Amino acid sequence: MLFDLLTTVETGGCSAKIPPRQLEELLKDMPLPADPRVMVDIATHDDAGVYKINDETALVITTDFFPPMVSDGYEFGLIAAANSISDVYAMGGTPLVALNIMMFPSTRIPMEVYKNILRGGLDKAREAGVSIIGGHTIDDWPPKYGLAVIGTVHPGRVITNAGVREGDELILTKPLGTGIILAGQRMKMITPLQHEHAVSLMKQLNARGAELMQKYGVRGATDITGFGLAGHALRMARGSGVTITIDMKSVPLLEGAYSLADLGCIPGAAFRNLDYTEGGTLFAGDLDYNLKMIAHDAQTSGGLLMAVSPEKSRELLKELHESGYGGAALIGKAIRKREADVVLQ
Amino acid sequence: MKTVDTRGLTCPAPLIKTRQGLVEAAPDEDVEILIDNPTSLSNVKRYLSDNKLPFTIRGEGSLSIVTVRRGEKAELSPNEKEYCTASAEEPAPGGRKTVVAVASDRMGSGDDDLGTKLMLSFFRTLVMLEPAPAAVVFYNTGVKLAMDDSPALEHIRELAEKGTSIFICTTCINHFGIRERLPVGSFSDMYQIVNILRDADHIIRP
Repeated sequence: MLFDLLTTVETGGCSAKIPPRQLEELLKDMPLPADPRVMVDIATHDDAGVYKINDETALVITTDFFPPMVSDGYEFGLIAAANSISDVYAMGGTPLVALNIMMFPSTRIPMEVYKNILRGGLDKAREAGVSIIGGHTIDDWPPKYGLAVIGTVHPGRVITNAGVREGDELILTKPLGTGIILAGQRMKMITPLQHEHAVSLMKQLNARGAELMQKYGVRGATDITGFGLAGHALRMARGSGVTITIDMKSVPLLEGAYSLADLGCIPGAAFRNLDYTEGGTLFAGDLDYNLKMIAHDAQTSGGLLMAVSPEKSRELLKELHESGYGGAALIGKAIRKREADVVLQ
Repeated sequence: MKTVDTRGLTCPAPLIKTRQGLVEAAPDEDVEILIDNPTSLSNVKRYLSDNKLPFTIRGEGSLSIVTVRRGEKAELSPNEKEYCTASAEEPAPGGRKTVVAVASDRMGSGDDDLGTKLMLSFFRTLVMLEPAPAAVVFYNTGVKLAMDDSPALEHIRELAEKGTSIFICTTCINHFGIRERLPVGSFSDMYQIVNILRDADHIIRP
């Protein structure tokens, strides 16, 4: 390998986010936009902003970038791009164009690595049908990469954190545990196969998941990234005014994630996320400690968490399984608002 | 007293070493953990209190020394406890824990139809066994026996009602894509399955 990008960072991927509780605190006094064409802003803690152009079209706009979570530049580019584009999918949209965002230490890492990262981003964007039409680079250490993405969605078919209805069942499309597996990789505690599996899931686009959400009339969904399953579920529950119950025993896990958590290989981000969720979350008395921490594991390019009416859930799940999301599973439901926003059991 | 030195290490290494130290120490031995970074200190504290392990902290400059007190009540973390007792709430009479490992949906090899019949008959008979087995572990095509349309399902349910723990291999149900068709049992990864089999006093493999 030309250069091992993991030597530049202590935490990678979505683990590098600012703690969610701190972020909410900082943003709470910021004025929200007053333009009536703004359909979705940060008020509901959503994945992307939505701006209505006319009755047929709304823009979905989002950005994401982070430090390396894998050693290889090309692979980093693929994952970072999949993760950035995912926010458009999480809103039920179709991504169209994107801009590169790059921070790169030009004198400390071979510039060939820079090209490899961009190439990875370009290839993933092409797979998603997205044209990269520009970008911006500054000199910085450690390297960071991501995209600003624009997509479109029909204004009547926007999928948000606020669209979950009481009685909906919740489907998660990818197994959990990327943060733990990446930490395990750093600590040399996992097999190459376990790492490869996690990487392949991080590279997987949520494109087909978004199409299926539209087909099945899903109105509430998010993608699982830095705040972990529990953190994103909390945002969804609060955004929608329901309580979300999650049965952790039915949540699919990446091979090796449970054992790693049991060995204490729990990244710091999981503890930060726990600080955030515990105000609104009820943890069942017999909830396994490792599963609790896995629920808080920061995911990079995680799956979609979608709320679907119970009569359609089996059919949707079946189609997800047939569409390359073999690990998709029914993991919980939305019930009438209780004291706790989220119940983990 | 066992000492775990995590100085100079970053997250999650200090937690991994802490966990390792707790496992390696004698059950009633105190464990002292040296930590020199605040994030790891906070995570280790959180880990210990969530797992109900009493501890004290004293600081020496930038160094914190966390002492886990296990002298009086040596308490394992909840999940460790779960693993140790996963096979049975209490040992069967004579202290023997029986675990049934079901690796196939048929009993024996040679004739498939016969194998299917025999396996059904095995479960019908297993229900009558006194005392009931501590656990039944299903893996490979064995997981299909616990599916919603399996004729063996009613017997598996009966076992569960009698207190037998039912464990189903997650990798296997993902492989067959039948996760939503399993009405009984808890999903287990290989780590848990290996622990259950290790802790068994004897294993029946139909």
